[in-house]
Amino acid sequence: MAVLHFEYRMEIGYEQCVHRCCFTIKCIPRENARQHLLGAELSVLPEVGYCMGEDSFGNRQIYGCETEPHDRFVFQATGDVEILRTDYEEAEDPMTGVYRIPHGKCIPGPGLLAYYQSCGLPENRDPHETCVAWMHRLHQDFAYVPGVTQVQTGAEEAWGMGKGVCQDYAHIYVTLLRMAGIPARYVCGMIVGEGASHAWVEALCGGRWVAFDPTNDCLVSDCHIKLGHGRDAADCAINRGLMWNGGAQRQKIAVQVEKRDKGE
Amino acid sequence: MQQLELLKHTDKVNELLARYGVKFGIYKNNVFKEQLFPFDSIPRIIEHDEFSFLEKGLKQRVMALNIFLRDIYSRKQIVKDGIVPEDFIYASSGYMAECEGVYPPRGIYSHISGIDLVKGKDGGWYILEDNLRVPSGASYPMIARDLCRRSSPDTFHSHRLEENRNYADLLRRTMDYVNPGGHTVILTPGRYNAAYFEHSYLAEKTGAHLVTGSELVVEKDMLYYISSNGTKERVGAVYRRISDEYLDPMNFNPESLIGIPHIYEVFRKGNVALLNAPGNGVADDKGIYYFVPKMIRYYLGEEPILSNAPTYLPFYEEDMKYVLAHFDSLVLKDVAEAGGYGVVFGSTMTKQQKQDFINLLQKEPRRFIAQEVIDFQDLDIVDNGEIVPRKADLRAFVLTAEEPMVWKSGLTRFSRNPDSFIVNSSQGGGFKDTWVLYQ
Repeated sequence: MAVLHFEYRMEIGYEQCVHRCCFTIKCIPRENARQHLLGAELSVLPEVGYCMGEDSFGNRQIYGCETEPHDRFVFQATGDVEILRTDYEEAEDPMTGVYRIPHGKCIPGPGLLAYYQSCGLPENRDPHETCVAWMHRLHQDFAYVPGVTQVQTGAEEAWGMGKGVCQDYAHIYVTLLRMAGIPARYVCGMIVGEGASHAWVEALCGGRWVAFDPTNDCLVSDCHIKLGHGRDAADCAINRGLMWNGGAQRQKIAVQVEKRDKGE
Repeated sequence: MQQLELLKHTDKVNELLARYGVKFGIYKNNVFKEQLFPFDSIPRIIEHDEFSFLEKGLKQRVMALNIFLRDIYSRKQIVKDGIVPEDFIYASSGYMAECEGVYPPRGIYSHISGIDLVKGKDGGWYILEDNLRVPSGASYPMIARDLCRRSSPDTFHSHRLEENRNYADLLRRTMDYVNPGGHTVILTPGRYNAAYFEHSYLAEKTGAHLVTGSELVVEKDMLYYISSNGTKERVGAVYRRISDEYLDPMNFNPESLIGIPHIYEVFRKGNVALLNAPGNGVADDKGIYYFVPKMIRYYLGEEPILSNAPTYLPFYEEDMKYVLAHFDSLVLKDVAEAGGYGVVFGSTMTKQQKQDFINLLQKEPRRFIAQEVIDFQDLDIVDNGEIVPRKADLRAFVLTAEEPMVWKSGLTRFSRNPDSFIVNSSQGGGFKDTWVLYQ
């Protein structure tokens, strides 16, 4: 058990003035049996009224529309999360079936189909064991190299390149688990000691959603704060925006998560 | 036959339809082409008793489909109880995860349903397909009736003919029933849409504003209409004539220029009604069609009044065997296609085509359904001055407010080609008025 303090800051600078911009931000940790939000503060610049709600995956979102011309957009969220368990049990998600089906960025092509078959992992094993076995395999067979893949890169394409970042690990892992018949969710979150957001996977093992971190080849520990989940990265993207004008943009994201002593 | 008097006026009515801009636009090879939707003045006539029977069956069907949609996007009891396999829900291109847990105003999903039927040579009616997304076509028989009445008033005095002008009232009632407060608008993608005539006609007849996406704006979980002089007024109901994926670039296709950013959040919070609700495609999928009679029994505890065309799902092993053994007598439909595309007849394929198709079928059994070819009744049309028989179907309109209401008319479409069974307007056919008689 631990209390994690987080700071998420996103700043977008535009080459030209933006006349109007709509945004949806999913950056407030959702609550479940594993994590409990102790408090959070949000700010949006330029200042604008925004709304809060939940999307259909249960992710928290804030959204609104800037109608004043601006050349800089800053979003910041800070808060504390109490981590109660390292993996978690949950009542069955009514959408479980959704997470069995190939979708979006998690659709296998010839490359992943061949890989899946070549590994020859025994089928009908305990799902938890299958997940662990695939996690080790993937960690071995895929290299962590930033800058090769992009936000839009899907599982099959990333697999073809043989290297990528946490999003690619998670997309490929989700795709493989679904091929093995195990419902799997893509998770977006933050971890201690990393300057950007992180991604991992939850798989349904015997009525429990268990969280695996294929990038680090480990089970999710008390260093992970979950923000949201979905079928792939697009469902729980931290920022979705639509702007009128603006030209080229530079995006700076700073994430900090650190452990706090309890009772501090 | 006094209605034959109408025949004399066919050319005049078609001329007027052209002048009013009653056209049908289609995309072919990426080129947008508008074409006239030829009107044939011999009406389809349905006797009172026969229509009462259809009416009962249609209400029952639409009621079950609405319950199904409510169930699928919440508890999914019908899947848990094993009536509909999960595969048919989640792999359907019409299923939208974004609709999970969202409850539309008054729980209605399909406010305007277009149910396509044919009458078999055996005299029985069969449902061909359900259209629960953005079914179009009601305006054609409305305006055709109006023009015919003007050119031949006597014809309409001497028949026991149910009025069809009330479609606008039914639609207005349907929109008002779910409107939580504010204006009612009809949202059109613009004049390059195949059904633009209909959008403007229905707006005029119902008194709703006809708007494009750029005239609507979302603020603080409310939807507003911006009038030409800059005032902002709340909108409570949107009869949207654009498809789900273009509705909201912040929730669906980000490339959409005709949608309204965040309109879906307003809907999620219950502050606007969208007619029809997003996500309905999961219930009018050709694969789900097979399950509609089962739904009626499951949700309503009644026997279905109207029959489906006999349908097989190659997904089930037993059905696959049947399909392979009777391939030549069946029609095969790709569940992902609409508008008469992706429909093939086993009997017209070459040996090679058949083999290729069977290979595809065995690789992707979930993608296809197979149906017996129904030998449906021909209706007479006038072609170059001669009366000739053509295949025809009927699109019945069911509008759901407190209860489902069936419009006592409908769009009768016929195929232009004498050998064709496909009557979709996007395939170049024509239409007739549908007369329902009272007792």
